[in-house]
Amino acid sequence: MKNKYLNIFRPISEGFSNTFRIWMREFQLIFSDVGVMILIFVVPLIYPLLYSFIYYPEVVRDLPIAVVDLSHSADSRQFTRDLDATPDLKVATSSISMEEAIMMFKNREVRGIVQIPETFSQDIAMKRQTTISAYADMEFFLYYKALMTGASFVSLETGHKIQINNLMNEGYTERQAQITAEPFKMVDNAMANQGGGFASYGIPAALILIIQQTLIIAIGILAGTARERHIFGTLVPMDRKKMGTFRLVIGKAAAYFTIYALLCIYMLGMIPEWFGYGQSADFTELIALIMPFILSSIFMGLTLSVIFKNRESAMMLYLFTSIPLLFLSGIIWPLSNFSPVWLAMREIFPSSNAIFGYIKMNSLGATIFETRKEIMSLWIQTGVYFLTVCITYGYQVNYSVHLRSELASHSYREIRQKIGIGD
Amino acid sequence: MKSILTNIWKVAVREVNRMSSRGLYILVVLVLPILSIMFFASLFKEGVPTKMPIAIVDLDQTSGSRKVARNIDVTPLSKVTENLQSETEAMSELRTGNIYGFVVIPKNFQSAILASRQPVISYYYQNGFLIAGGLMQNDLTLILHTLSGGINIQKREAMGQPEDYIMSQVQPILLSTHQLFNPTANYSVYISTIVLPIMLQLFILLMTVYSIGIEIKEKTSHEWLRLSEKSIFTAITGKLLPYTVIFFIVMMFQNFMLYKVMQIPMHTSLGWLMLGSLLFVMAYQAIGVFFIGLLPMMRHSLNLSAFYGILALTLCGFSFPIEAMPPVFQYWASGFPVRHYMHIFQSQILAGFELRYSILSYLYLMLFFLLPLTIINRLKSALIYQTFIENVHKT
Repeated sequence: MKNKYLNIFRPISEGFSNTFRIWMREFQLIFSDVGVMILIFVVPLIYPLLYSFIYYPEVVRDLPIAVVDLSHSADSRQFTRDLDATPDLKVATSSISMEEAIMMFKNREVRGIVQIPETFSQDIAMKRQTTISAYADMEFFLYYKALMTGASFVSLETGHKIQINNLMNEGYTERQAQITAEPFKMVDNAMANQGGGFASYGIPAALILIIQQTLIIAIGILAGTARERHIFGTLVPMDRKKMGTFRLVIGKAAAYFTIYALLCIYMLGMIPEWFGYGQSADFTELIALIMPFILSSIFMGLTLSVIFKNRESAMMLYLFTSIPLLFLSGIIWPLSNFSPVWLAMREIFPSSNAIFGYIKMNSLGATIFETRKEIMSLWIQTGVYFLTVCITYGYQVNYSVHLRSELASHSYREIRQKIGIGD
Repeated sequence: MKSILTNIWKVAVREVNRMSSRGLYILVVLVLPILSIMFFASLFKEGVPTKMPIAIVDLDQTSGSRKVARNIDVTPLSKVTENLQSETEAMSELRTGNIYGFVVIPKNFQSAILASRQPVISYYYQNGFLIAGGLMQNDLTLILHTLSGGINIQKREAMGQPEDYIMSQVQPILLSTHQLFNPTANYSVYISTIVLPIMLQLFILLMTVYSIGIEIKEKTSHEWLRLSEKSIFTAITGKLLPYTVIFFIVMMFQNFMLYKVMQIPMHTSLGWLMLGSLLFVMAYQAIGVFFIGLLPMMRHSLNLSAFYGILALTLCGFSFPIEAMPPVFQYWASGFPVRHYMHIFQSQILAGFELRYSILSYLYLMLFFLLPLTIINRLKSALIYQTFIENVHKT
């Protein structure tokens, strides 16, 4: 009875201890490699802080503009003061000619020009429509937005006042005048990021992307290094005993998972709290999204690592994807304008769905159910990449075993020449 | 002098041979940069987002409210894809990501208008995304102001007021907006023109560091120096020359895509464009040399290049304006050639301003050429003594 018991449990406990050994060996590889340590500890620690400080002002306030006041009237001076009073704009200079204003624009002393026509005051008095011209700087989307917001606000408000004034002169009561001018009221509700801060747009995406990219590059660097260390350039060491593919994959994944689970507490927990980015998602919701994300990134990294022949390969060949991936996530360019090719490409990388899902949960307060599409996709990616990593690693394990068996009948030199890495 | 030139040539020929020996070179100098160019050219093909999905919640269901609903669908930017029954449902759709915004027409909207009770129309939009949020807000505000003006106009027409007079009363001040020097308001002008050089600088930096670092790592630096007759200047010039040529051609291809295929306006001559591109490539090569000289162990200098190269996206100031950053980062930003290239692009190429407004940026780009001088001795001794080799224990 007792023996039967042991027979069942021996392979299981052996499996565990093997997996555990691989896990610890991976830790050892990571912690003894300064380059990798910098990549997975210093980069995730420093980048979020750095970005947060760079974007600290968050919004463009008091954009310097020039007002070309051709009217020189009390009305136009009031209009100029109103422009200056908006949070978006600051009138750097008024009462200059258009030529001078353009000169200042070229020298970047002002970032926009508002021209008040000569007939401004008369038009208002004579009840004629008058036209204000705004010349926006198209270099930066945020400058354009600031000028348009400020100028259209003041134009609408001034126009509104004029209309009400005229109506009251025609004998309307103030209430009647207001209803005529504004038949219905409009209420503007910005969902997520009410302040419109720039850091709140960009940083959540950056955090997710840093997790995925550092993971994949670190795994790739270690794989390349392993190939450089092993005498036949194999990915898997040629141990005496054959290593189980499954144990190898689980053991390696466990090492990265523990490190990144801890890093996430800092990146997705502390950073948003310190700098006041959206944090509507609670702990369980975040785990539901981030767990499949880290797992799929690890398995994708392990799958990709097979192609990196040298230590440098991962950095040289993979780093550049960081910038396109930011755009593929759909936070900059709306997904409704993606071509089917890029929508399909988007599904290859875990970061796309994770960024989208993270912003939905954290900034908009979406529930797990409302984020189901992203979470499902991440689990599908986890499954698919787990399969691919088992297949590729299985092949690598067998390859190492095969080379080892060759050693019985061939010399080192012969084998090295045969596989094309002869000296 | 003649012997220096022949030596440079010899080193360059050796480098071309090295390049053809490994797939990595061709990938990093040609294949990946061109794929990136194609990616961004295709992604922003449309220039301006169109048909972003929005929803309408019509709680009134009268002829008046349906008329409002129909009018919301008129702008090219948004497209009403859903008609929903309640605000909660719409909010959930927004959170799920199926729509970018929605408008709620309240119950008794029509009767309130007729009775002059000033009903309230609320609109909601997803502001978690920079471009989509900003566009959605502008679009919905514009639509509703037009609708509100429309009702006002109808009322006045019913009173028999003349058309000119009505317009002067409903909208006494008209804002006409002009976009200085970029008449198209095209996003690919904002984004592709800056993101593509940022992609390219990443490849230039990594490749420069790699091409020198690999000589140290694989202990081939003596062979390299022998060809240049121990002149570090000749050695580096010869080595970088093939890359200068290739990256310059890639950059001109990129310019061809931007200004000819994507038809972004170009207000400068081909000569200036070529000069700017060449200085850009060389400035980044100089920084690459500086990095590998500073940290001759390639693993560290590659990390440094990656850190610096990725930071360019933020510090060139294309996403968030430099002037709005804390002052310390404003100085820091000058340390990125792409920042100066961006200024040349905006001032001279796109806006067509006179040369004197951008000449300083050309000088800044050239200033980067001096950078390798500071580490040249350190690099030379690293090449000669090979003291920065990691000990690899083969198992």
